[in-house]
Amino acid sequence: MVRILENQLLNEKVYVQQIAPGLEVFVLPKKGYVKKYVTYAANFGSIDSRFIVDGEDKELSVPDGVAHFLEHKLFEDEDGNVFDRFARLGASSNAFTNFNNTAYLFSCTDYFTECLDLLLDFVQTPYFTTESVDKEKGIIEQEIRMYEDNPQWRIFFNLLAAMYQEHPVRVDIAGTVESIRQIDKDVLYKCYRTFYHPSNMALFVVGDVDPGRVLAQVEANLSKRNYKELGEIKRIYPGEPAEIGKDFVRQELVVSQPLLNLGFKERDLGYQGERLFKKELATNLMLDVVFGSSSKLYNELYEEGLIDDEFDAGYVAEQDYGHTILGGETVDPDRLLERLTAGIKEAQAKGISEKQFEHYRRKAMGEFLKSFNSLEFIANNFLAYHFRQINFFTYLDVLQSVTLTDVNSRLHQHLVQDSMVRSLILPKKG
Amino acid sequence: MPTFMRSRLANGINLFIHPTVKFKTILVQLIFHRALKEDDVTESSLLPSVLQRGSGNYPNRMAIANRLEELYGTELMSGVTKKGERLMVTFTLDLVHDQYLPGESSLLKKALEVLSDVVTNPVLAGESFKEDYVSQEKEQHEKLIKGLINDKIAYSVERCLQHMCEHEPFGVFKFGSVERLKAIDGPALYHYYRDFLRESRADLHISGDVDAAAVSALAQQVFGFERGEEAALAATTVQKKMGDVRYVKEELDVSQGKLVLGYRTRVTYADDDYFPLLVYNGILGSFPHSKLFQNVREKASLAYYTYSRLEKHKGLMLISSGIEVNNYEKALEIINQQLSDMTQGDFTKEDLENTRSGLRNQFLVEEDSQGSVINRVLDGMMVGREENTAELLNRLAAVTREDVARVAANVYLDTVYFLTKRGGA
Repeated sequence: MVRILENQLLNEKVYVQQIAPGLEVFVLPKKGYVKKYVTYAANFGSIDSRFIVDGEDKELSVPDGVAHFLEHKLFEDEDGNVFDRFARLGASSNAFTNFNNTAYLFSCTDYFTECLDLLLDFVQTPYFTTESVDKEKGIIEQEIRMYEDNPQWRIFFNLLAAMYQEHPVRVDIAGTVESIRQIDKDVLYKCYRTFYHPSNMALFVVGDVDPGRVLAQVEANLSKRNYKELGEIKRIYPGEPAEIGKDFVRQELVVSQPLLNLGFKERDLGYQGERLFKKELATNLMLDVVFGSSSKLYNELYEEGLIDDEFDAGYVAEQDYGHTILGGETVDPDRLLERLTAGIKEAQAKGISEKQFEHYRRKAMGEFLKSFNSLEFIANNFLAYHFRQINFFTYLDVLQSVTLTDVNSRLHQHLVQDSMVRSLILPKKG
Repeated sequence: MPTFMRSRLANGINLFIHPTVKFKTILVQLIFHRALKEDDVTESSLLPSVLQRGSGNYPNRMAIANRLEELYGTELMSGVTKKGERLMVTFTLDLVHDQYLPGESSLLKKALEVLSDVVTNPVLAGESFKEDYVSQEKEQHEKLIKGLINDKIAYSVERCLQHMCEHEPFGVFKFGSVERLKAIDGPALYHYYRDFLRESRADLHISGDVDAAAVSALAQQVFGFERGEEAALAATTVQKKMGDVRYVKEELDVSQGKLVLGYRTRVTYADDDYFPLLVYNGILGSFPHSKLFQNVREKASLAYYTYSRLEKHKGLMLISSGIEVNNYEKALEIINQQLSDMTQGDFTKEDLENTRSGLRNQFLVEEDSQGSVINRVLDGMMVGREENTAELLNRLAAVTREDVARVAANVYLDTVYFLTKRGGA
């Protein structure tokens, strides 16, 4: 049965159907667009590193970086490279892996039907050999090395590794040069069998397409594959203490000036769906009031030369972890830390006013509307939220349901000193 | 047939209106063209930041930010980009179309007024910008110039270009130099600014679901400030004489080496051979099916990223790749082999057709982005090429293997730059 999700203000509709054996398919027709963009995602990310494979009773603990490695290897099958086949259709294909999901995507203008089948086919056809797995290690090693020289990337992962004691979100998504050397074809197949069943996946199609035809095509593609129903996936996440692991971490790199990031670890966890969404929106509103570009704090720091216009604050909300990270480049990280800490205290003492609250809510509304120009934004966000049991279309409604009290309580409960981690990058001497 | 309307405001600003119903937003770009010169670029790249510190109606940064947030999170951004030997100084407004905002009906006008106030009505102290705005922005700008090194990929590409075009205007860094920055003060920059507004060629682009006549009148009303005669802009120099290949190595304490190769193509966007060159570059290195990706990455496992790209106005091609420092010779050899295969015509019909399809896709999807549509017109205006998508696709469809061979014979290596580990290979 096809359901229709509609948003009047956006003037957009999404057609949704669950197709046997359990794939959630979304189609958003965008009239007038030349491009079609499709993403096919598995609810499997870098944090899914311990689980029980179907039919076995022992827990499997996989090397760090497996989800990302698997993403690379799905692009190869018996007949060679999948990129080439998209190229023949004039389409471009890609994929990405984050903490929670792996997404395979293409964008095309012509041959949409062929491209869609190709995407569905290659993701559903794993083909790993010892030789091709070994060959990929050199490539991924260079990807890891590239990030080792990237100060933004390093400060972020250093911070998470300090903040979390047990949870796998503390580990780099791509793993390490050492961990990926342990990956072989058997472990890739085990991961594939556990997580790449259609009922653990979702598909999003956006562009000037006919929803009925798209849904029928996906149904035809899946029905010929004789899927068995998937049992429950048993993912094992270690118990994460409420406390941070370390409150300070630093690294030296070749940079022109220091970078400082502050992280605040979430304590109020366990939600999914609308409640999680509301917490996320309330927290981001709060951060915008306190640290946003029209805030008093931001402008003072800017005028003192302590921050530049890349300074940023953002919140991440997942069911079993969450954190705020803020900061940027600075000439004087000690002074910036002092000023930020004092600024947070001052904001907590004063509280957020009704006027500030409405002002930033209006801004958030405008930003959401603007982002609906981008097919990539729509599809990627829709699926990321879908895996957290959230309908992304409800953004404006949930934003309206956030109250001043919610935002103020986030200010007091989330930005607390003893859940704060400092991550610092310093210029390498010599 | 162009899909935009072009006119001229009374003060000589070129107005381009791109009517479209596809988007939720209106995108406005005000673009000033400057000749790329060492003694101009520091001022012109600093200027937008000083202007964004405050204006007559919004006297500080906070007041501007606050006003933009009231306008439903309208963004006002500025930036500089090199196009050949021109520096484009661009102010951008990105706003929601008010048809999506119940009770709002003049958002574009309000946003344009903020832009106009920022650009034409700065906060002054006599015949000078406010001195602390200038000194603070000079500090920020110095950090921006020095911060290039923080992104090793961008740094290595810029360093290669600087070596390669050492004696040409194109070798100038778009943010200028710390040395020249030190000499700038409030009065000097204000003096510069008045000339800048009066004499720079300026284009105003407005894209979105707008009524052309109404928007023209609005633009005339909001941007009616006085200007003088426009300064002439020299054509970009295109070097065609081949010399010895220059090899440059630089050591830094890094984890990965960056290999950047700079080529001269002898062809620019002004030439009809640009289309065969685009195909050449596509077969060689701008797609995952290209020779570089297939050979450097997939076959030899030497790199994660490896690509080639064109600088269409200057007639350059760059290859960039991140590799283990010990693999320098090996990577260079494989890359040289791909270039020589291209010159020999050693590519398949499938390579050619896949590339053509990929480029066709790229031309088509430009229409789905307001920024890309404006950028295409801007590129076209610079060289007198006013072709719409269908005409560009015809050009692409007409490219033959012989055409590709002809442009291939003209591409030559100029500079090999390698960023390597300290004490490394």
